[in-house]
Amino acid sequence: MNRTLRFTSGLAACGAIALVSACGSQCAQSTANAAPAASAAQNPYAALAKLPDWSGVWEPTFRAGTPGQAPPAPPRLTPPYAAQYAKYLQKNRTTPGLNFVSAVASCVPPGLPQSMLQPYPIEFLFTPGRVTILIETDHLIRRIYTDGSPPPPDPDPTYQGTSVGHWEGDTLVVETSAILPDTSPLQGINGHSDKFHVTERIRLAEPDLLEIKTTRTDPAVFIEPYTTTAYYRRHRDWRIMEYVCEQNNHDALDAHGNPAFSLSHKPEE
Amino acid sequence: MKIIRTLAPALLAAASVLLAQRASAHHSTAMFEWGKEKSLGATVERYEWTQPHTFLWLIVQDGQGRTQEWGLEGMSPSWLGRRGWSRHTLKPGDKVSVVYYPLKDHRPGGFYVRIKLPDGRLVDALPQRSGQ
Repeated sequence: MNRTLRFTSGLAACGAIALVSACGSQCAQSTANAAPAASAAQNPYAALAKLPDWSGVWEPTFRAGTPGQAPPAPPRLTPPYAAQYAKYLQKNRTTPGLNFVSAVASCVPPGLPQSMLQPYPIEFLFTPGRVTILIETDHLIRRIYTDGSPPPPDPDPTYQGTSVGHWEGDTLVVETSAILPDTSPLQGINGHSDKFHVTERIRLAEPDLLEIKTTRTDPAVFIEPYTTTAYYRRHRDWRIMEYVCEQNNHDALDAHGNPAFSLSHKPEE
Repeated sequence: MKIIRTLAPALLAAASVLLAQRASAHHSTAMFEWGKEKSLGATVERYEWTQPHTFLWLIVQDGQGRTQEWGLEGMSPSWLGRRGWSRHTLKPGDKVSVVYYPLKDHRPGGFYVRIKLPDGRLVDALPQRSGQ
């Protein structure tokens, strides 16, 4: 039936006259009757109706941890990364507002999971066998395959990694690996090994509050897996905005990788 | 007591990290004297409603007939645009009073914090330090 539908719609594109002359009113009649029969069993979109409603635009709230509970304990890090992290925390204590120095300042996109923790909103698209996350910051796209197929055996490392997901009730569990090793696994740390793995558990904590528990695993960096929780507030009336970092960036790092600020009218990034 | 002593650094660390994250989207604020408010009166030369930051170019009179161009970075359209600002909030020729965080190297630039518009309205351009 699908073939018939495609065939007739193709004909329709060529012109209604061609359709009529090819099979007449009887053909048009049978196509119309076929549409409902092809639905539930064969239309993969029908299965999406069982998924939770994550429509709208989700704004990060920067609420620390689970409401009413203490923030998570600090990460237990291997010595080189512990030193790096301690230096970062110390700098933040002595310089109010100091942020993490990374290539993101020069418009290199953040890798997973930092890409999910930017100050700007995200949105979700459900299509058959896939969840797509659109991140406003840097227009990042995450394709999470939920059709049960295994991840490719040896994917190239990328900023957002290679993701597969599955639903446990109304919780989407996402497993991601093959994340570029020069990205940040946690605010305050640069770099990780090729064993870095991220598990995300995404669910509605309240009708308009999305909870994402993010677990980072990498024996080179974390002595034990480290989990943080982030919350996002739903705005049904927001739209994702365009975000091209190269449009007007005055904050590219200098030649030594230090923070800089350009007062040039046309910054050379 | 032991628990409190163990938790306190974690709480502090979490708070400082969160504040820092909220202040700026994609870069360090190390080049500014972040938190040190200064103000200036100026005429808007151009307001760039752009990612990853808005940019406000000002003409400042020095009182002796000379003018100097200033460049102030601000939050992004992604942040400001959802809090009442638009590309029309400032236009060339507007006389404004601007509170900003100066550059550490004393060049004529910084990060704008709030602005008094020609109609007298005072508009915030940064997340408030306390609470959401």
